[in-house]
Amino acid sequence: MKTKYLLLFVLTGLLAILYSCHKSTDYKALIVTGQNNHNWQASSPILKTILEQTGLFDAEIAKTPEKGGDMNIFNPDFSKYNLVVIDYNGDSWSDKTNAAFVDYVNNGGGVVFYHAANNSFPKWKEYNLMAGLGGWGNRSEKDGPYMYFRNDSLIVDPSAGRGGSHAKRHEFEVKIRNTEHPITKGLPVHWMHGNDELYSQLRGPGKYMEILATAYADTAGGGTGHHEPMLMTINYGKGRIFHTALGHADTGGGPAMECAGFISTFQRGAEWAASGKVTQKIPYDFPNAAGVSLRTDFKELTLEDDLTKIGQYEITKSTKYFTDLQSRIRNEARTTEELIKFEKLMIKVLQDNNATDEGKKLLLGELSWMGSDLSVPVIRELALNDRLKDAAEFALARLQPTK
Amino acid sequence: MRRTATVATGAMILPQIIPSTAMGMGGKLPPSDRIVMGAIGLGGMGTGNMSNFLRQAKDVQFVAVCDVDTKHSVNAKRIIDEFYKNSDCRIYGDYRDFLEKEKLDAVTIALPDHWHGLIYTAAANKKIDIYGEKPLARTIHDSQAIVSAVKKNNIVWQTGSWQRSVENFRRGAELVINGRIGKISRVEVGLPDGGKGIGTPPVTEVPAELNWEMWLGPAPKVPFRGVYHGNWCWILDYSGGQLTDWTGHHIDIAQWGLGTDRTGPVVFAGEGVYPRDGIYNAPVEYDFLCRYADGIWMRVANASRLRFGMGTTWYGEKGWIHVDRGDVLRSSDPNVLKEVIGENEIHLYKSNDHHRNFLECVKSRAETAAPAEIAHRSISIGLLGEIAMTTGQKIFWNPEKQEIIGDPVASRLLSRPYRLPWNLPTI
Repeated sequence: MKTKYLLLFVLTGLLAILYSCHKSTDYKALIVTGQNNHNWQASSPILKTILEQTGLFDAEIAKTPEKGGDMNIFNPDFSKYNLVVIDYNGDSWSDKTNAAFVDYVNNGGGVVFYHAANNSFPKWKEYNLMAGLGGWGNRSEKDGPYMYFRNDSLIVDPSAGRGGSHAKRHEFEVKIRNTEHPITKGLPVHWMHGNDELYSQLRGPGKYMEILATAYADTAGGGTGHHEPMLMTINYGKGRIFHTALGHADTGGGPAMECAGFISTFQRGAEWAASGKVTQKIPYDFPNAAGVSLRTDFKELTLEDDLTKIGQYEITKSTKYFTDLQSRIRNEARTTEELIKFEKLMIKVLQDNNATDEGKKLLLGELSWMGSDLSVPVIRELALNDRLKDAAEFALARLQPTK
Repeated sequence: MRRTATVATGAMILPQIIPSTAMGMGGKLPPSDRIVMGAIGLGGMGTGNMSNFLRQAKDVQFVAVCDVDTKHSVNAKRIIDEFYKNSDCRIYGDYRDFLEKEKLDAVTIALPDHWHGLIYTAAANKKIDIYGEKPLARTIHDSQAIVSAVKKNNIVWQTGSWQRSVENFRRGAELVINGRIGKISRVEVGLPDGGKGIGTPPVTEVPAELNWEMWLGPAPKVPFRGVYHGNWCWILDYSGGQLTDWTGHHIDIAQWGLGTDRTGPVVFAGEGVYPRDGIYNAPVEYDFLCRYADGIWMRVANASRLRFGMGTTWYGEKGWIHVDRGDVLRSSDPNVLKEVIGENEIHLYKSNDHHRNFLECVKSRAETAAPAEIAHRSISIGLLGEIAMTTGQKIFWNPEKQEIIGDPVASRLLSRPYRLPWNLPTI
C-alpha cells in the first residue's frame, strides 16, 4: 500500500518538475493576413519566424477570407494574445471584429503595423488613430497632416495633397531620432537599410505618436526631399503600438525583410508593444552607416558559421564572418578563461591545412592582441610559411615582445 | 639662419642653393636669413601647409619636397618653382635621402599616421624643426618616441592642431579655466560620424607614379586596391578613423580648457560601431567615457549622439560653454561670454596664425601653440578610447607612468609591430 502512494508521490513530483522545466515563451502573437496589395504569402510566415526567433513569442497566423469573401467568419479572439501583427490590407473586416480589435487595444493589447498595413481601412477612424500615419486608399488632407523632419525639427504639414507615395526602390539610410526609447536605445544612429520602398507623404492624425526614426527621401532619386517617418510608436487607450513602414516583401523574402536592421527593430518593437520594455540584446549584425547587412534565412550568424567561413576567406569575399567574431570577442570575453575559449577555436583554424592563407592572416591579426602563450607554437610554425610570415611575425612581436 | 654655416662663411657648398632672389630683390631678406624649409608628404593637407609656408616669402625659402607619389612631388615642385620663378626645387622619393642630403632648418610633414613614428623621429634626430600633422602618432608608443626625440634634440615642434590659434576656441577655454562656469563636472566632445564604405575593391595594378612599398612602410604588406590618398584614414592599419583624425582638434581643446593638457584621464570604457564588411574597418560610430583623477568625466562620441553635435562642451556648476568651428562660442548664460579675464588670472597661449606661430618660434626658440607633449596627451585619449572599444574592457591608465594598469592584453595595443626591416627603437 505504502509503495503505491510513494510511487504516486514520486510521479507527481516528476510531473511537476517536467512542467517547470518546460520554458514557455512569454508572449502569444497573432499575425493577421490574408489579403494585401503586397506578397502576404511570402511576408507572414517570415514575420512568424522573426518573432519566434526572439524566444519570446509563440506566433500564429490568422488568414481572412480572400477578396470578396464573407468577412463575418473572420473573428479572432484577440484577447487571447499579447500582440497582434497586421500584415493585411484589403476588404474591411466586420463591425464585430473591428470592435473586438479596438477593445483589445484599449485594454492594453500590443499591436505592430507592418509596412502596407498602413494602407488599410482609410475610413476606419480608430484604426487610423492606432496607426498614427497612413498612405494610399485615397487618403488626403482630410485624414490628417503630413509629418516629417526637416533637419532636426518635426514638421506637421496640413497642406493639401495625396497621402502616401514612394520613389523607385533603393537602399537608404535610416536615422534614429530618439536614442533613448527602449526600442532604439543603443542602436547605431545611422544605418543602411536593405533595398526597400521608402514610404513617403504618409499622413494621419499622428496623435500620441512618436517618430523614432526617419529616412531621407532624396530628390535625386525622385523623393520628397524630406526625412520621412520609418519607425513610430503610438499609444491608444492602454495599448502600445509599434508601426514600421519598412519591410517590403519579395517572394522568399528579399533585401528589405532580410535586412538585420528591419528584423531587429521589428523584434524590439514587438517586444515593446507586448510588454512595454525591451530585453533583447542588440545583434552583432545590426547594420550601420558603413553598409547594408542582410541575413541568410533571417538568422544571425553563429560562432560556428564564423569560424568555418573565416577558414574559406579570400581577399574578395565578405569579411562579415571575421567582424562577427571580433564583435563576439569584444562583447562576450569578460575573463581570461573566456578569451582562451575563443583562442582555442581560432588555433584550430590556424592548424587546418584546408583553411585559406587570407583567413589565417585575419586570425593572426586578432590573436596578436587577445592571444596567449597557447598560440605561440602554432604561430611560430606558420612563420616558416613565406606567405604567412609577415602576419605571423606581427602576432609574435606582440605576444612575445623582446624586452 | 643658425644652421647655415655655409652662409656665415660665405662659402658655397652643394647642394645648398643660392636662389636668384638672394640678390636682395624687393625687400625680401636674403636667403641666409630665411628659414630653409622642405616638405614630406604633398597630398591635400601637405600641399596646403607647404603653400601656406611658401607664401611667407619674407621668412621662408622652400628648397625641396619628398613624396612616394611622383605626381604629388612634381606638382609641389611646380608650385614652388612658379613662386620663385626658377626651377630649383629638388624632389625626393625616399625621406631618408631627403633628410640626409638636404640641409634644412625646418620641415613640414603631412603623412598617414602609420608613418609618423619613423619620420617624425628621423627629422627630429636631424635637429630639424617640425610642423607635423596630427594625430601625433598611430600608437601611444610611437607618440612617446616622438615626444622623446623632440625633447632630446631640442627642436621646435608645432602640431597641425590649428584650432589652438583660433580666437573662439582660446576664449572659450580661457573662460572655462578661469572658472566662469564654476567647477567643471563633465565635458562632451563631438567628432564626426563615419560614412558609407566602398565595399571590397579588387586588387589592381599599382600606378606608375606610386611607390606602394614605401607608401606602406612599416604597415602590413597588402596588395594595392586603389585605397590610399585621402582614403587611408578608414583603415585601421593606417589610422583610427574619424576618432583619431579629430582627437587633435576637439579633444585637444577640451584638455586646454580643463588645464589637463600635460596629463590625462585615468579610466576609459566605451563601444565602437564597426563596419561589418569591406576594406574600411575603422569604427563609423563610437562612444566612450573617460574620467580624470579629480572626478571630471569626458564623453567622446560621434556627433549624432550628442546634444551639441560637433565640438567641445564643458559643463560646470554655473552652466555650460560650447565651442566649434565657424567661430561658434556659446554659453548657457550669454553674460559669461562678456567676462573680462583679469591680469592675475590664467591667460592661455595667444596665437592668431598657426603657421606664422611656428615660424616665429623657429626664430625665437620659444614653445609653440601646440607643442609635442600636448599633442601626445591629446592623441593618448583617442588611442586609449580606441583600446577600450577594441577590447570591450575598462582600461585603467596611469598618466604619470604612462602605463595601462593590470591588463597586459590591452597593453599590447599600445604599439603596432613594424614590418621588417622598419623598426622604431623604443625610448
